[in-house]
Amino acid sequence: MDQQLITGYAPAPVAARMENHGASMLKVAMQSGQDLFARTGSMVAYEGFVQYEPNPPAVRQMASQWLTGEGAPLMRCSGDGLLYLADYGANVVCINLNGDSLSVNGTNLLAFDAHLQWGVERVKGIAKFAGQGLFNVGVSGTGWVALTSRGTPIVVDCGRGEDETYVDPDALVAWSTGLKVKGKRSFKASSLIGRGSGEAYQLGFSGQGFVVVQPSEDSTDRLRARG
Amino acid sequence: MAREFQRGHKAKISDLTAGRDLYIGVQIAGPGLTFDISCFGLDADERLSDDRYFIFFNQPKSPEEAIQQLGAQAGDTESFRVTLDSIPSAIQKLSFTATVDGAGQMSQIASGYLRIVAGGEEVARYSFSGAEFSTERAVMLGDFYLKDVWRFAAVGQGFDGGLDALLKNFGGEVAEEEPAPAPAQGGAPGFAPPGGAAAAPGFAAPGGGQPAPQPPQPAPAFGAPQGTPPQPAPQAPPQPVPAAQHTPPQAMPPQPAAGSPQMHGAPTIAAPLAPPGQTPPPGQVPPPGPPGQFPGQQPPFGGQVPCQAPPAPAPYGQPPAQPYPGQPGPGQPYGQPQGAPQGVPQGQGGAPGVQAALAQYREAPTGQRWTPQNPRLMRVDLGVGGQPVLARQGTMVLYQGKVDFSYKGAGFRGRIVGNATGQEMQLMRCSGQGQVFLAENAAELHPIELQGDAICVSAESVLAFDESLQHEVRRIEGHGIPGGALFTMQFQGTGTVIVKTEGTPVVLPVTPTTFADSNAIVAWSAGSQVIISSQVRLRRAAYPGHSGETVNLQFRGAPGNFIVVQPYEV
Repeated sequence: MDQQLITGYAPAPVAARMENHGASMLKVAMQSGQDLFARTGSMVAYEGFVQYEPNPPAVRQMASQWLTGEGAPLMRCSGDGLLYLADYGANVVCINLNGDSLSVNGTNLLAFDAHLQWGVERVKGIAKFAGQGLFNVGVSGTGWVALTSRGTPIVVDCGRGEDETYVDPDALVAWSTGLKVKGKRSFKASSLIGRGSGEAYQLGFSGQGFVVVQPSEDSTDRLRARG
Repeated sequence: MAREFQRGHKAKISDLTAGRDLYIGVQIAGPGLTFDISCFGLDADERLSDDRYFIFFNQPKSPEEAIQQLGAQAGDTESFRVTLDSIPSAIQKLSFTATVDGAGQMSQIASGYLRIVAGGEEVARYSFSGAEFSTERAVMLGDFYLKDVWRFAAVGQGFDGGLDALLKNFGGEVAEEEPAPAPAQGGAPGFAPPGGAAAAPGFAAPGGGQPAPQPPQPAPAFGAPQGTPPQPAPQAPPQPVPAAQHTPPQAMPPQPAAGSPQMHGAPTIAAPLAPPGQTPPPGQVPPPGPPGQFPGQQPPFGGQVPCQAPPAPAPYGQPPAQPYPGQPGPGQPYGQPQGAPQGVPQGQGGAPGVQAALAQYREAPTGQRWTPQNPRLMRVDLGVGGQPVLARQGTMVLYQGKVDFSYKGAGFRGRIVGNATGQEMQLMRCSGQGQVFLAENAAELHPIELQGDAICVSAESVLAFDESLQHEVRRIEGHGIPGGALFTMQFQGTGTVIVKTEGTPVVLPVTPTTFADSNAIVAWSAGSQVIISSQVRLRRAAYPGHSGETVNLQFRGAPGNFIVVQPYEV
C-alpha cells in the first residue's frame, strides 16, 4: 500500500505533556502518577496502557453543584501512553498554567491535569438564561489545561477603556478570574412583541484580564448530546 | 504557466513550484511616485521581533542571507531572493510591502504586480492596480507564511499611515529624526546616517548619499577582474542570460554612482549583494530566464523518504534526543523524562503561562472599519466611518463600548417580498461607538468591498453589511427550478458586505462555460448574466435514478466578473 499520502499525519515526537496534533486534536503524554481529567467521551485514540474511570468519587464531590443533574461529565485517565482527545472537530487550545487561574465554560473544557486546583462555579446572573445550564470550572495552579473552541478563538483584553466588554454567553469560552462579571439584559419593550435584535443577554466583564471567545454561538455540548 | 493570483488567494509554494530558492519581483509604478519596497520577516505572532529581518534598501539581506534584496531588474521595480530552506525557524512569515516615498497615495498607481519566479520560470503573479486602493500610502502586497509548509498569499491590504503605520503594525518603531525606518539601527552594526556610511559594514546607504564610492572588491575565488565597477541601476537592462554563471560580465559600462561598500561583508562571494539599483551579476541572482538557475536547489520529485512515521517498535512518540536523555526502552517507553515534574514545560512544548499560550489568538486592532480577526471572526469598528452596521440577528459574539442593538425591520413591503421569495434576512442594527465582533457557527467570513459596483449574494450567506448599501431582491427566471424562479439579494453602493461560506470557497472567473450548482453558489458579481441550464433528458424522466445535477446556473459576462462557490450544498 502506498502510504506516502498519509504519512504526513503521523504523530510528531512528544515535546510536552499536552500538544496539538493538528488544529483539533489533543495529544497528551500520559504517565503513571500524573492523572488527567478529561471530558467523558472525548477520547478518540490511545496508545499504551491507559485506564478510564468515569465519574470518580472525587469528581462527584467537587461537581456536586453541577446543575446538569446527570453527574459530572468528567473521567479520570491514568496510566502510561499517548492519549488523543477531540471534541467533534472543535479547535483545541492547550494552555500551560503557571500559577494562573482561569474560569472555563464547562462545555469548552476538554482536559486538565488532575493535580490542578479546580472547582465548579456557578456564574451569577446568567444560569437561568443560558439554555444549557451554564456551569463553569475554575482551574488554577501549575499544569496543563486544554480548551475547545468552535473555530479559531479570539482573546480580548478587558479594561482597556472604561467601557465594559460584553460577550454573548453562547460564544464565551473562558476568562481570567479576577474579572468582574455581571449579566446584562439588553432587551427592550419592543423585544416582547417579537422585534428583538436577537441579542437579549450578554455577560459584561470589567477589570483587568482577558476573555476568550469562539466565533460560533453553537454551545451545544456534543459530547453530552451523544449520550 | 504563471498562476494568476487575486487579492486573498493563497497557495502552497510546493503547489506552485518544486523550487525552494525563489525570486520575487515587484513591479509598481505611478506617475510621479517613487516606492520603497521592503520585506518584513515576522515571527509567529506576526511581529518584527528581530530587526535584522526587516529587509529594505538600508539592509538588503538577512544575517544568513535567506532573504536578499536585489534591486531593480528584468522589468521589476524591486526584486528579492528568498531561500526558503535557509530561513530560520523563528521567522514564520515574510511580508512584502510597498510604501509611497514622499507625497502621493496608492490610488495613483497605474498598475503593478508581485511575481514569483523559480528556475527562471514565472510560476505565480499577483496583479493589482490603483483602482483597488484609495488614500493608502502603504500596502502589504503578499505574504509568504509558514503553516506546516510555506505558502503564498496575495494580500493587497493598504495602510493609510504609510511606512510608519506598517512598522507599528509589525511592532517596530520609527526613529524620530530619521526618515529611514529605524529597525535597521538595532540590527545593522555600524549604522551611520547616509554620508558617513561608506565604510560601515553590512550597511548600504541609498545611492544618492554616497560620498566616496569604493570600487567593489570581488573575492578572488572567482577570478573576477579587479575593480569592475558596478552597473547603474535604473538604466541597467535586465540580464536574462544565465550562461555566464560565476563569471563577472566583462563589458560592464563603468559608472561612478551608487558605489557600494557591500563587499566588505561577505568575502566569499564574487559580488555579494547588489546595492539598491544595481544589476546583480549573473549567477548570483536568478533573472527570469531559462531554468536551471539554482543548481542543487530543486528537490527531486519523489525523492522523499516515503515514511516518516516513527518505527513500529517504539510507537509512543519518539523522543527527540536533546530534551529526553533517556532512550525509550522497556522501562520507560513513553518518551517521558524520568522524574520530570508534572506539567512543567518540556522542550519547546510551550512557554508557561496563560498569556503565552493565548498570545496567538490575541485581538489585532488595525484601525480599519472591517477587520477579519481570523477566517471566522469579523471585527467591525463602529467608530470608523460612523455609520451603523446591519447584521444578521444573533451574530454578535462580543462587543466593547457603547453599542446599541436594535431590531431592523424590512418594512411591510420588504416582509411581503421576503416571505414570497425566501430572501428575507432577520437583521439587527448595530449603532453607537465601539467594536463589535461578529461570527456565526464558525463559518468562514469574507469581506467584499463594494465601490459603487454591485454583487449578488444569496440571502442566507450574508452575515453583515454597511447600512449605506442598498439591497434588493432580484429574480432569476428559468424553467426547471423548484418554485419557478430563483431569488437573490443584490447589494449596490459603497460599503462592505460580509459573506459567509461553509468551508473554503472557490472564486471562479466567469468564462463562456462557467456553471454552478444553484445550491452551492454563494455570490456573483452583478455584471454577469445568469442563465438556467437544465439538463432535462427524456431518459431521465423515463427511468428512475439520475445524476441529481439537473439544474445548473450558467454565468456569462465580461472578463472580470466572478462567482463564489462554497463546498457545501444547502
